[in-house]
Amino acid sequence: MLARSIFQKRSCWRSGNVYRLFGRRLPASTVEATEMKPTVVGHFSTAASTPIKSTFDCSYKLYNNKVHYLSTSVAAALERVDNIIDIPLAQTGEGIAECELLKWFVKVGDEVEKYQPLCEVQSDKATIEITSRYQGKVIQFLHVPGDIVKVGETLLSISVDASQVPSDVGKSSPTSHPTEPSKESSDLSKTQKGETLSTPAVRNLANQHGIDLNDVPGTGRHGRIQKEDVLNYATSIKNKPAMVNPSSDKPTLEPEPIVQHMTNESLYQDKTLPIRGYQRAMVKFMTSAATVPHFHYIEEINCDELWKLKVAFQKQNSDPDIKLTFLPVLIKSLSMALTSYPLLNSTFNLEKYEVNLKGSHNVGITMATPVGLVVPNIKNVQPLSIFEITKELARLQKLAHENKLTPEDIRGGTITLSNIGAIGGKSGSPLINVPEVAIIALGRTQKVTSFGDDGNVYPVSLMTANIAADHRILDGATVALFCNEWKKLIEKPELILLHTR
Amino acid sequence: MATRHVAQAGRPLMNIVRMKGVPILQQLEIEECLLRTSSDNWCIINDGADKPNIVMGISGKPAELVEIKPVLEDNIPVIRRFTGGGTVIVDHGTIFVSFICNKDDVADVQPYPRPIMSWSSLLYTQVFQGIADFRLRENDFVFGLRKFGGNAQSITKNRWIHHTSFLWDYETRNMSYLKLPKRAPEYRLARDHLDFVCPMKDYISRSDFISRTIDAAGRLFSVESTEFEAVKSSSNVNFTPTSRLLTNQELEAASMIAI
Repeated sequence: MLARSIFQKRSCWRSGNVYRLFGRRLPASTVEATEMKPTVVGHFSTAASTPIKSTFDCSYKLYNNKVHYLSTSVAAALERVDNIIDIPLAQTGEGIAECELLKWFVKVGDEVEKYQPLCEVQSDKATIEITSRYQGKVIQFLHVPGDIVKVGETLLSISVDASQVPSDVGKSSPTSHPTEPSKESSDLSKTQKGETLSTPAVRNLANQHGIDLNDVPGTGRHGRIQKEDVLNYATSIKNKPAMVNPSSDKPTLEPEPIVQHMTNESLYQDKTLPIRGYQRAMVKFMTSAATVPHFHYIEEINCDELWKLKVAFQKQNSDPDIKLTFLPVLIKSLSMALTSYPLLNSTFNLEKYEVNLKGSHNVGITMATPVGLVVPNIKNVQPLSIFEITKELARLQKLAHENKLTPEDIRGGTITLSNIGAIGGKSGSPLINVPEVAIIALGRTQKVTSFGDDGNVYPVSLMTANIAADHRILDGATVALFCNEWKKLIEKPELILLHTR
Repeated sequence: MATRHVAQAGRPLMNIVRMKGVPILQQLEIEECLLRTSSDNWCIINDGADKPNIVMGISGKPAELVEIKPVLEDNIPVIRRFTGGGTVIVDHGTIFVSFICNKDDVADVQPYPRPIMSWSSLLYTQVFQGIADFRLRENDFVFGLRKFGGNAQSITKNRWIHHTSFLWDYETRNMSYLKLPKRAPEYRLARDHLDFVCPMKDYISRSDFISRTIDAAGRLFSVESTEFEAVKSSSNVNFTPTSRLLTNQELEAASMIAI
């Protein structure tokens, strides 16, 4: 199984503010619309058994709940806004059926003017700016850069005031006709070649209730299906007469509140998840990683002294924006060990049968973002202090969280570190970030018993490190010696000071 | 601006900039700057790039388009430009012609790829009239079935650029740096580069081609010559170009993914 380990903040996981989970990508715009702060969440598939597996299952359920919550929030947002208009990719030329989305010029929440450029797409020979027909506010993106978008497919949704609603957008007014639709309008919605007129929020709501939109009569203009239509339809199918209890004249089933209820059927429906953006890149990287013959070296590291150091740092830290964790010390000590064993900081070119020993230690840190797994790297760790590493790590995390990492942040990594233990699990089996030759996964620090030199039993904090290495370049002895060096620096962090220039 | 814009006989004004041997990356930077920051119409003509460069479209992937190993060995620069389209290798035998227009000044041309492509083909039909069997085939300029000119565009809110690299001559060995692209025009019929392209020099001289192009532009616009130095100096102001040179590291990384 191809997988990567991901850095994650434990407190955010506990709080349940899980946003980005393994599986379908949630649009960043959806996150913005709910006004919640998405956290960097980790997910990892490992050789470890139950804890990680249950995390995966749990995370998927949380996703489902989150989707429900988000959709409710978006729906709630819709209640405050008169009109949401879907902006499709318009026909950009004869014979052009699809375009690649290159970049957005706006972000969710931005106010846009009429004719303001929204994004740039590429079709065959041309890059084309797509401008807005309306003045309004960006509500949701339905695609990320790199996606192939078919002509006519919705690019984004914009909220506009009622005066801008074009005549061909359905909207029911307060004085509209009775909710029972005419046969003619319901036929209209069904004749759209299987596509019904509705917004993404309405489609999400229907999906939650396991309702096929083709069965819902729309009461908006031109048969457009609105939120009320879905809710009314859901109510109507639930209010069908139930079996009468022989001892009572009343039906045994009472109408239930619709919004909070999910039908059982929706839990078992198949879902198709398009692979886009960072996930698509992950597919590509993992496929290439599969060609590398990995071997794994596992070691347990005593973190008692590291813990004391962290506490000491925290006491001295006056910057509320900087959170001091183990990771910067681990990164710094890793770099010092790499100085003694530079082969682990290299790239391999199979065609030329060459190993390129990299001069800079650009340590990549795996992070889960709302749009997928990314591995930005801290450039040139050697001359950096632990505090400088801490600040740079915080900067990259913030950018990853906001989906604003630049190609430069991601480019040029020479070795990767993954703190999967922040989520859980004793250890993991990471896959190398090609063309690097080594990756290290750190398991959760656990309090265990250990024998002291005097034969007595003492508690120690142990962390398991799993070093995956390219066996074409690295042998067990080299990795073992490297790990010994690194372990020594972590267990006796004063040595870091001793060897720092 | 209205006075400057519309000169003789009500035709919009177009500045003609003639260059020779300007590096292609610099040319692309100037063009993008003019597209995004100028409100004038421009025709940029660069008679030959300074040295061989590979130029990919905005979303070109080196591993799919370029033979990375020889490119790295021979130190051939690889550029990703700001317009769409495919990959070319340009050198002193390439002539570049770029039209940067306000859509309102070419009001009979819808600001979409196909209409602009058609507009350009009509212009070049006049250039090659009586000289060769010129036509626009799919998105390429061809003599018969052989391509001698590749096109790319960028369309913004009010302006567009259509630029063409014309293969006046080429070195056979340079073509070996390019892979057969996955997306190819139907008429290519899986031909390799040497069977697919043809040099313009068999039909027209460089100077004739350039002068006839300016004449053809002069039938649509009121053309005025502008010095390259004037354009070059104004293009540096507060503008960050999209076109860039790929680093060796990026190419190496691309080659590893391609394994």
